[in-house]
Amino acid sequence: MVFPTVQFAVFFPIVLALSWALMRRQSVWKPFMLSASYVFYAAANPLFCVMIAAVTLGNQACAQLIHRSADARVRKRLVVLAVALNLATLGVFKYYGFFATEINGLLDSAGLGLPLPLAAIALPVGISFIIFQAISYTVDVYRGLIQPASTIDVALYLSFFPHLVAGPIVRAREFIPQLAAPRDPRKVAVGAGVALIVIGLVKKVAIADFLAREIVDPVFGVPQAYAAPDVLLASYAYAVQIFCDFSGYTDIAIGLALLMGFVFPQNFDRPYRAASFGEFWRRWHMTLSRFLRDFLYIPLGGNRGGRWRTIRNLMITMVLGGLWHGAAWGFVLWGAIHGTALVVEHQFRGKVKLPRWLAWLVVFHIVVLAWIPFRAPDLGLAGSYLARLGEWGPATLWTAPVVIVTFLVIALQLAPARPMDALRVRFERLPPVALGASMATVILLVAATVSSQGVPPFIYFSF
Amino acid sequence: MSTVPRDPFILDRPTGRRLRARDAIVCVFVAALLLLLLEGESIRSTGEKMDSGIQRTAVLAVGKPAGWLAERLPLADAVDSVTARLSPDDDLTGEGGFNAAPVAGPAAAAGGGTGGGASAPITTDSFDPTQLGVKTARLARLATLLVTGDSLAQPLDEQLARRLAGDGVRTVRDAHLGTGISKTDIVDWGLLSTQQATDRKPDAVVMFMGANEGFPFPGAGGKKIECCGPDWAVVYATRARRMMDTYRRDGAARVYWLTLPLPRDARRQEIARAVNAAIEVAAQPYRSQVRVLDMTSVFTPGGRYRAAQDVGGRETIVRQPDGIHLNDAGANIARGIVLTRLRADFASLGG
Repeated sequence: MVFPTVQFAVFFPIVLALSWALMRRQSVWKPFMLSASYVFYAAANPLFCVMIAAVTLGNQACAQLIHRSADARVRKRLVVLAVALNLATLGVFKYYGFFATEINGLLDSAGLGLPLPLAAIALPVGISFIIFQAISYTVDVYRGLIQPASTIDVALYLSFFPHLVAGPIVRAREFIPQLAAPRDPRKVAVGAGVALIVIGLVKKVAIADFLAREIVDPVFGVPQAYAAPDVLLASYAYAVQIFCDFSGYTDIAIGLALLMGFVFPQNFDRPYRAASFGEFWRRWHMTLSRFLRDFLYIPLGGNRGGRWRTIRNLMITMVLGGLWHGAAWGFVLWGAIHGTALVVEHQFRGKVKLPRWLAWLVVFHIVVLAWIPFRAPDLGLAGSYLARLGEWGPATLWTAPVVIVTFLVIALQLAPARPMDALRVRFERLPPVALGASMATVILLVAATVSSQGVPPFIYFSF
Repeated sequence: MSTVPRDPFILDRPTGRRLRARDAIVCVFVAALLLLLLEGESIRSTGEKMDSGIQRTAVLAVGKPAGWLAERLPLADAVDSVTARLSPDDDLTGEGGFNAAPVAGPAAAAGGGTGGGASAPITTDSFDPTQLGVKTARLARLATLLVTGDSLAQPLDEQLARRLAGDGVRTVRDAHLGTGISKTDIVDWGLLSTQQATDRKPDAVVMFMGANEGFPFPGAGGKKIECCGPDWAVVYATRARRMMDTYRRDGAARVYWLTLPLPRDARRQEIARAVNAAIEVAAQPYRSQVRVLDMTSVFTPGGRYRAAQDVGGRETIVRQPDGIHLNDAGANIARGIVLTRLRADFASLGG
């Protein structure tokens, strides 16, 4: 089920009302919320619920065994087994086709007729988010950061519908404690929740989908048909589209959770104002950044162990971070570009000091450049796209709305936060009826901008 | 166990006051009520377009009374007039719509466009020169190619556009997802094809559609013509024929209509067979300009679904996991077949 749809508009008010009605009776509320979340997920494909149930039970079994074992070696073996099973699940669903094709190609070229069997495997929506959260639970139990929770709490943690399909990646130790007691019905951040839902809808439907339709999809689909001005604008427009699409989803997810009394971590903080790559990754997909930091970079050794180890760890982390997005060389290249940039930044830290505006300009344009292989259907087309930047010609897609929307979103990220925050807080202080009326008005307006083909899926649904 | 996270939480920033849970429910229900009153008809129509199942039932349970109420209030029209300018869709009005002249029955449908029940004359247009073994009269230049249809047209449209960009061909990609010839509530393909032909004046049209078919056609006396018998195929073929006639622009253009590779699902196979049979029949009067390109035997030889097939000596997956669409490798095969026929028809493409 996708948030900006009629189905969800029918689903959510009913679930919200019942959730608060049942909240005090946790023994009823938890099965209810678990069922609602599974219904939400089953809307994509009921079989996917089997996968999420299996992941839940497998991780819960490992977490319980880890907790009960006093032998450090057994605990380590169990956590390795749990992580391996999680990654194997991800591998089968997400990467099997990619690696089978690549390996078959290699075997073919070596003259070895032992091809791996091919299968068209359906990708469960949001599987990467589910698996990362499952890993976070089991590893945090292993590290002693949390106690194993009850099975229903773990099931709810992994399937809670607001964050189920595209994050934010909520850590077990952030969410499970919120299940320990009923949420306080006297302290609900209604205004903040509604503001986030409204902002998220505008970002997704009115900005991201508009830019995709008007410039990004045509140019990235057939770059050969466009000259440098269109290709350049499409690059900036895609940077804006992916930010608005993804942060729009997480804004809505966080807002829905707030209305239900739950608090999620922040996922975006005006990333395109970053003047360094370190800063960019503290502002972009923050919950993935900290996951990669805590579960990959630091276990690899982080920056302890000298220069070359740090470089190695940064590159491994960022390349695997790229591969997390999907089984394609474009994602690997995107990760490698960011990894290289972080390495260069790390090596020159304290040695070269650029003015902030110049550092921003460089970082922003490398980020935009890195989005090209990320978005292009394959590396060959990414190359064609870049080649078109050198072909001067007419600007056929530079319409006023596209240019204004693209650069306004970028400019808003650079503007001081205080006036925008003040505006948002004023909105959040409106009485509930006015908040509801405002939400309806925004929904009507953004719905009018949807084409007859409906709202395209969020980009991160496929990751 | 720590309950205080180290990382930034959404409520760390300045925010408004906390309210009660009751206020959250009031807020959401006020929004829902306003939407029901103002968009009730849209909710009902969305439900009617959905495939049967629990989701459809739930949406219609809300949408039907909301639609009934909205019809009796002037609010929806007021909202439409205010927001109409925001719509990204082309205004599909004018002549040529399928719904403009309801089908009285299969017999009438079959006669549509050929003078009622009279026997249609057989003309030279009915023969594909290649079938007769005579030299095809090639058109001079392919300047504009329209690739259209439903989701099946993707990613074929992109692949054709990329391949033909170097030949100076302007490829118009106009896929309408979730639409069908038997499903006129989102897009009426009668109107759309007329508008595409009039506005774009394509020299060639590639049509790949059929993933959303199988819906009943309106028949005589309010009866519905259900898929997938001969009666249904007659109406489908009549509509497809009208579109072919529109696209061929009195012989100024060539049409390449792709048949459906059979889907994995047995029910959908039944629909696909009816669609494919209707396409073959629809093209008969215009064989000199309308090419029916057989994707069925290429991807599903012997009428048997397969996800992978031999491509250049290597077993390759050619279908999407949904068992309906072609993936990039599959679309690449389809692209090759279309290009071969385009080259045979247009001198500017060589070949």
